[in-house]
Amino acid sequence: MSEFKKTVFKAEHIFDSKNKRHYNNGVLSVLHCHHYTSLYSQLAIDAKETMLLTDVAEDAFYVPLVDYFTANHIDSLAEKIELACQYYAFLGMGKMTVTSLGEDSGVVELANSHLDEGWKKKWGTYDKPVNYITAGFIAALFAAVLNKSVRSFTVSEVASIVMGAKQSLFNVVKK
Amino acid sequence: MAINRKKIIEDLSKIQVAGSDKGLIEGFGVLVNQLPAAFWNGFAERLSSKVHPDLREATEYLLVNAGHECGYHTGYGIITSDEWNAVVKPMIEKVPEDILYGAYAVFTAWGWAESEVIEIKPNEKMVVRAYDYYEADVVKFGKNPKMSAYMIRGVSAAFMDLAYGGTYDKTGKTGLFTFKCDQVKGIECGDDYGEFIVTRAK
Repeated sequence: MSEFKKTVFKAEHIFDSKNKRHYNNGVLSVLHCHHYTSLYSQLAIDAKETMLLTDVAEDAFYVPLVDYFTANHIDSLAEKIELACQYYAFLGMGKMTVTSLGEDSGVVELANSHLDEGWKKKWGTYDKPVNYITAGFIAALFAAVLNKSVRSFTVSEVASIVMGAKQSLFNVVKK
Repeated sequence: MAINRKKIIEDLSKIQVAGSDKGLIEGFGVLVNQLPAAFWNGFAERLSSKVHPDLREATEYLLVNAGHECGYHTGYGIITSDEWNAVVKPMIEKVPEDILYGAYAVFTAWGWAESEVIEIKPNEKMVVRAYDYYEADVVKFGKNPKMSAYMIRGVSAAFMDLAYGGTYDKTGKTGLFTFKCDQVKGIECGDDYGEFIVTRAK
């Protein structure tokens, strides 16, 4: 009889008591709040550097994803996607569902979003998408899951909680 | 001094945050995330390094500002939290100075910077040193003339706002920005530690 095995993202936390640093799965990690995330995003918008913010996010999330899949011998596409979404939640960034994923395109939904909900708490609604950090995460997810390098995918936010939508929606296209 | 820094670090460094079924982490009156430090450093460093020299000061001001607002609101959440009340509050004798000493022990425990208050002139000035901080990781070899501890600067000014800037104002219209912070030494610049001087903003 086959056993049903639920895929669960595991985080190993270590506090380096010498240098007073925290690591999750070997990745130096820092707690920050929605004020900080919103203000970084606002700065990127004002400086017209939203692509930089997305690229930095993609770089920051790609390596932990790839390393996790390798260290835990995760080969199945479905498992990688599920674990990546759980990692996103672990980071406190929200609830992500990959609606579709292919070599050339994909669609991702956010039912809850740290960035959007934090922005609304701080400033109310906005007339444009603001979640460039999640766009970077999604680019990293697609690249990591499909064994591609970073900058393989373009991610566009086409519906946003910050603009009043019930869910945020991202379209993904291979470059 | 009443504040037992070692005990605060030992006790509070064990605390871990956890998300809800919505993938959100609520704590200290804010939404919290736990992202790789490389993300925060990556954006701050790439942006501040690539901007036109005429725009660097404005860019750095906004990076510090992000830390300042975060430090004010989240800092208030921390010093009124159950965790603070359980571990730090019983040690406090002199208000608000002991709150400042305790706040930097928490700042250390939670991985923002291994830092301590060196000097306080109540209501006027505070000097802080940081002996290890993730913002210094932007330099892996050699030294950079650009001081890069924007978050520590912002948070340090915010802590003085909370201590001497009047009653906490969740709108940020009063209290916040009473003080400002300058970085005068940096590990990323080749110094043995980062040093930060907080004074009243003009």
